[in-house]
Amino acid sequence: MTVLEAASPPAHAGDSTYIPLAGMVRRVTKLTALEQLFEIRLPNGRPLGHSPGQFVQVSIMGVGECPISIASSPTRPDSFDLCVRRVGEVTGFIHRLRPGDTVGIRGPLGHGFDVDELHGRDVLIVAGGLGLAPARSVIQYILDERPRFGQFHLLYGAREPAELLFRDDLTRWRQSPDVNFHLTVDRADEQWRGHTGVVTTLFHRLPRLDPDNTMVAIIGPPIMFKFVVLEVLARRIPQKNVFCSLERRMKCGVGKCGHCQANNVYVCTEGPVFRYGQLKALREALE
Amino acid sequence: MLDRVISRDDLHALIDGLALQRRLIGPVVRKAPECRPPWRYFYQPVDRAEQLDLSFSYCVYSPKPFLFPPQETLFQFERVDGGFTARPQLADRPTALVGVHPCDLNAIQLLDHVFSAAPADRHYRARRDNTFIVGVDCARPCTDGVFCADLDSHEAHGGFDVMLYPLDGDAESAGTTPGRYGVVFGSRAGGEWVRYGRRGEVPTAADERTFDRYQRQKRTAFPHALKTPADELPQLLERSYDSLLWEATARRCYSCGSCNLVCPTCYCFDIKDQTTLGGDGGQRRRQWDGCQLRGFAQVAGGHNFRSRPAARLRHRIYRKAKWIRERTGLRGCVGCARCDRACTARINTVEIYNQLTEEV
Ligand SMILES: Cc1cc2nc3c(=O)[nH]c(=O)nc-3n(C[C@H](O)[C@H](O)[C@H](O)COP(=O)(O)OP(=O)(O)OC[C@H]3O[C@@H](n4cnc5c(N)ncnc54)[C@H](O)[C@@H]3O)c2cc1C
Ligand code: SF4
Ligand code: FES
Repeated sequence: MTVLEAASPPAHAGDSTYIPLAGMVRRVTKLTALEQLFEIRLPNGRPLGHSPGQFVQVSIMGVGECPISIASSPTRPDSFDLCVRRVGEVTGFIHRLRPGDTVGIRGPLGHGFDVDELHGRDVLIVAGGLGLAPARSVIQYILDERPRFGQFHLLYGAREPAELLFRDDLTRWRQSPDVNFHLTVDRADEQWRGHTGVVTTLFHRLPRLDPDNTMVAIIGPPIMFKFVVLEVLARRIPQKNVFCSLERRMKCGVGKCGHCQANNVYVCTEGPVFRYGQLKALREALE
Repeated sequence: MLDRVISRDDLHALIDGLALQRRLIGPVVRKAPECRPPWRYFYQPVDRAEQLDLSFSYCVYSPKPFLFPPQETLFQFERVDGGFTARPQLADRPTALVGVHPCDLNAIQLLDHVFSAAPADRHYRARRDNTFIVGVDCARPCTDGVFCADLDSHEAHGGFDVMLYPLDGDAESAGTTPGRYGVVFGSRAGGEWVRYGRRGEVPTAADERTFDRYQRQKRTAFPHALKTPADELPQLLERSYDSLLWEATARRCYSCGSCNLVCPTCYCFDIKDQTTLGGDGGQRRRQWDGCQLRGFAQVAGGHNFRSRPAARLRHRIYRKAKWIRERTGLRGCVGCARCDRACTARINTVEIYNQLTEEV
């Protein structure tokens, strides 16, 4: 089964690309003080039909819309997950949603990971902070389609233990033979017995990577990206095998309103996932 | 090659016919005592052809607002039983835009391209599909400072249903009201309007000669202002990313966005919700936004991807002269110089291009 072929046109209702479908909140899980996880179901159980790394525009009528990464894999098509950090107006209202409530969904939007290109390869995912949310869509995908991939390494860093997302998943991944998972926090607290240090300090725990056969996805804040990419290139991984995800202000999500541009590139349609080689030419991308 | 020639009176009769079926919009002169000369032209709705001044110099704003309004409702929503219903708002009012200069027609072609690219913007398309456009050519520059000829946007390349060429208003007498127009059809609807209206005549050999003479005169009437040919502006800018000129020029910038506001090719927008007081309904609306405004690229938490005016100025210029051209093959700037005229800080795009040219 390849999920991607099932991709239907983005979900929007009626005669306008700007009208969202009514998604139904199935479950709300508090992940940290600032982040909640929402499981959403589209009308009639229609699959979202996304590829890992894509996002949706989430809206609350009367408040507005904001872009949120899809945090679950298309291999689990009955519903999808959104991990939302409360930082302002729209995200604040999203946090008030309860099971059974309706939320507007437009998408899937943007260009995600080209999973066909990952098939048959070793994969290294490096996630920082909230970047674990979009990363989770790839992680789940690989775990669900495990035989199609070679070695799978996952590095995740959060600023402090209280900010760790998806704790149940973390426990599962640590115990799973299917993924070589390492975790770190920048600053430990009294209870923390794991690794301490920024995410690049986890690299020495990786086995030797096969430069020609390893694909790397880096998802996190821009500052993390610069350091991680250096580690990756130092391991002789070719630049064309390195992917990362960008964040920008977004409004329309469909390449019209102009907000998301990094130089001449529309992050909402050509990204958010880019090949490192593409970004190097984009002076604004990693500023 | 002309499709028809038409007298001024016959043209007015045709336009009055249009006005029976469509909202008629065109250039109208308004007193402006604070300006020199003390009048300005604006596109506005009128009832009859004779209220229009088709030999206007330039309109302060382009006709863009009639295709892409400064504010519009995308859809109406109603919150019901914990869910919502939404109804799109698509403009269906037939409109005729009469008297559009070549620069603005070129700009409309860009808007058409952007809003028609998948996924098509039905809100723009609905307005556009209901709009009949009559262009009118410029025999000479409409005012000082324009650089449309550098961009070849002093000529219409499409975007009209009918194009009018002021035939006996040659370079010397331009500004006076021409008695006859050469007519070129741009669409089937345009051809039908003239033919079914039974106005105008099939051009004679003498008319074609007059038209040739008009075009020859036009070629010498427009000065060129850019020291780098427009085709080479992308390469010029490619080399100028780190020029100090961006900082030096942007020091004067107020980040007021006036340049964006008057630009016929600016199409960036913001989307906002409005709720009806105390009710469960409201609208999701869009409104123009501008890349020169401070918060344009700012995200939650305060990070601004273009916090410096210099970065924003560079973005605007790159977009107009390089990126849009490279991405679409169309003109991102049509040389109308409205931005230059509107700028309180007297930031001048031609000056920027020419200073960059001298730098490298
Ligand atoms: C591709 C992409 C994926 C994202 N994925 C996630 C995710 O999985 N989880 C999560 O919590 N956050 C995610 N974000 C960030 C999230 O979109 C912002 O936190 C959110 O827009 C803030 O909106 P607000 O109304 O609460 O904040 P306010 O400060 O009130 O923002 C007002 C408006 O500004 C715009 N805006 C502000 N910040 C951003 C931003 N960072 N990106 C885009 N638009 C912005 C939005 O239109 C927003 O409605 C993502 C952003 C992008 C671009
Ligand atoms: S009009 Fe002039 S001052 Fe205002 S934002 Fe544009 S360049 Fe800056
Ligand atoms: S978000 Fe509107 S163009 Fe990308």
